[in-house]
Amino acid sequence: MNAFDGMITGFQVALSWEGILFVLIGVIVGTLIGMMPGLGPISAIAIMIPITYGMDPAPALVMMAGVYYGAVFGGSTSSILLNAPGISGTVATAFDGYPMAQQGKAGKALAIAAIASFFGGTVSVIMLMLLAPALSSVAISFGPPAYFALMLMGLTAISSLSEGSTIKAMIAAVAGVMVVTIGIDPQTGTQRFTFGNVNLFDGFDFLIIALGLFAIAEVCMLVLNRKNRSLSDDQKLGSLKVTRADLKEMSGPMTRQSFVGFILGVLPGAGATIASFISYIFEKRISKNPEEFGKGSIKGLAAPESSNNAATSGAFVPLLSLGIPGSGTTAVMLGAFLVLGVQPGPLLMTDRPEIFWGIIASMYLGNIFLLILNLPLIPYLAKILSIPRPLLISLVIMFSLIGVYSISFNVFDLYMLLVFGALGFAMRVFSFPAPPFILAFILGGMMEQAFRQSMTISNGNLAIFVDSPLPLSLILIAFFSLVIPGLLKWRSRRKLAKM
Amino acid sequence: MKKTIFTTILAASALVFAGCNSEEAANENTGESGAFEPSKNIEMVAPAGAGGGWDTTAREVARVFGETGIVEKNMTVINKEGGGGAIAWAYIHGQDDSPYNLFVSSPPLMFVPLNGQSEYGHEDFTPLANMIADYGAFAVSADSEWEDLNDLFDQMKEDPESVTVVGTSSPGSMDHMQFVRIAKAAGVDPKKIKYVSDQDGGALTSVLNGSVDVFSTGVGEVVEQVRAGNIKVLGVTAEERMEGEILSDFPTAIEQGIDESFINWRGFFGPPNMDQAAVDYYEEKFKELSESEEFAEVRKKYGWNEMYLNSEEYEEFLNNEYKEIEVLLEEIGLGN
Repeated sequence: MNAFDGMITGFQVALSWEGILFVLIGVIVGTLIGMMPGLGPISAIAIMIPITYGMDPAPALVMMAGVYYGAVFGGSTSSILLNAPGISGTVATAFDGYPMAQQGKAGKALAIAAIASFFGGTVSVIMLMLLAPALSSVAISFGPPAYFALMLMGLTAISSLSEGSTIKAMIAAVAGVMVVTIGIDPQTGTQRFTFGNVNLFDGFDFLIIALGLFAIAEVCMLVLNRKNRSLSDDQKLGSLKVTRADLKEMSGPMTRQSFVGFILGVLPGAGATIASFISYIFEKRISKNPEEFGKGSIKGLAAPESSNNAATSGAFVPLLSLGIPGSGTTAVMLGAFLVLGVQPGPLLMTDRPEIFWGIIASMYLGNIFLLILNLPLIPYLAKILSIPRPLLISLVIMFSLIGVYSISFNVFDLYMLLVFGALGFAMRVFSFPAPPFILAFILGGMMEQAFRQSMTISNGNLAIFVDSPLPLSLILIAFFSLVIPGLLKWRSRRKLAKM
Repeated sequence: MKKTIFTTILAASALVFAGCNSEEAANENTGESGAFEPSKNIEMVAPAGAGGGWDTTAREVARVFGETGIVEKNMTVINKEGGGGAIAWAYIHGQDDSPYNLFVSSPPLMFVPLNGQSEYGHEDFTPLANMIADYGAFAVSADSEWEDLNDLFDQMKEDPESVTVVGTSSPGSMDHMQFVRIAKAAGVDPKKIKYVSDQDGGALTSVLNGSVDVFSTGVGEVVEQVRAGNIKVLGVTAEERMEGEILSDFPTAIEQGIDESFINWRGFFGPPNMDQAAVDYYEEKFKELSESEEFAEVRKKYGWNEMYLNSEEYEEFLNNEYKEIEVLLEEIGLGN
């Protein structure tokens, strides 16, 4: 069956009344859960699993998929409005989305996020449709050395994630790497920095750190600076209108980062979080005005938003075509497939074409629904900002606590949220940037594991990283991205000196 | 008015989430007249997150118990994730002698404490019944030159550095030790086995792209890949040939002259000091469940094998397994 016949089969499923209904239910549930700080697709899918018992697998899985990308779609809302990431994939969204909201452009920021999400989602579904079978080979092309090189490439971007002191950015990044080593080391089974406390054996969930460093720290700042914040309601919402110039500005990042996000989503282990960071950094690096990033740049908002949604579709490639869950969320999705008696894998496309293509086709529909649902909601969502501040602050704290508790129903995690909140607050006060900490935390763990896996495989020979073209080229990119900006700076300084 | 809609939705969902996790802390003992009959809902803990093997087993068992009416009271499954099970085990251990707190477990209940990652192990709990057996599989890329386990082990004896094994659990846990156990029986030096752990979903891809050589995992994980012709299975750890399409093609290690096997058992336990009357009750109920047609359907759906053991048989089986694993771990320099 070629992609065209497949899509016809798929649309028959997606456009049946059952298909439409369950896509709609899925995306509504997904967006709502995604909007809540901390509650992400994993909780959403886990809750839906018992509901699908006994359902016909095709509509049930179409719904589950809707919950997943719906949550990523909705996840930007609280990042933008409250600096409290809705899901881990929208941490980077807050970098420019929150400043925009602070400048009284909340409505516009939400609209840009929705458009970028829709664009990323749709472009990636087209790629998924045309390339899913072919891309399964991309998904397996990355071995441990290539993963190491990829993470290294990501880490070189730390300096570009921060304003001001590079030293402080580096200190924050080192702290992030240190925190990620806490827990049982997968390569030896040894406990590292756990003090024998069973609650630390798995290390920290990313959300605890993201919500602590962003949401809780932000709340502390709000309490501290309450005097200088008295915008009128109108200013808070701002105009919803995305002008033609805005669209033009975001078209470049959206297009580029939809591809980048999709490819990173295809790689098991990378996923929406890493994709959104890399896309953000990518755009900042190539931008003519990198200094605008972090201060409410439209590009800085559109890039991670199109990327994380594209990565979500990308994650379906290894899941559907190889049966490999590339992330925690897709692992739960895999569980949902199995409960419904469907085994994702290389044969899904031929054995159950209605499911394989049905899910893909439903994603077109789902993305359209999401856009239609989200755009009219924006004025109401943006009004959250006019909730009296004490109430708003309490709500953010409450939802951060609920979100963290729902990760593994462990009270210990709540204390850790407060610890990271305090750390985040201290970092703000002493102007250490939080993004390098977060980035190092995400990439550092995988980088270390990939490095050590490579070393075991090669019996300690470092040549494994330059022996094959894929890791070698990634390492070269990492190297040049570190060196070139320095060289450019040096050259321009020399020019200045000559003048 | 409208601005409160979102807040209301948030608050409502918050309540739902809070409700999902209400725990029954109360501990009361019925069974005055000798026979135990539950008088309230039974809590079943899956010591891991949603979607995994423990979770699926617990949910299916609770569902079939309810649908068949074998157990009249409701069984609520809750997930207690963390520390590879250690968090859930510590929690259950705190429910001393409660007949209303069950949990599902499998070999990690031995591996995790033996690796010093849990204070509590199987001997700290009351075994109720084993339900399922699963087996390990050793798979290689379809174009590998090895045709059976002996080819692989011969190369490992000759040049142990040239072969890397990958699994999803950490060293000293299941994927590693099932391989060590079979390889050692074939004469491979267990200390020289190179094992890498990949917990981010990359284990299978690393075998497919040739970064590593052997994938040590459960049979259920490889069937689809074998069907698609991506990998081949050199051997499985079952004692006899398994039944079922594809599964029956997998040669056992024993068939290949390696006299060793490994069972990935899965069963149910209660807290320490559970009353004998309650143990008798559950043992009987699990037996009924295991023999029911409805549960046979479940086993078929997930490719699980039947392996019912009552409380006493289970305990003996576990103690024997424990001794073997302990010796093996010591030999490769892991464990306590």
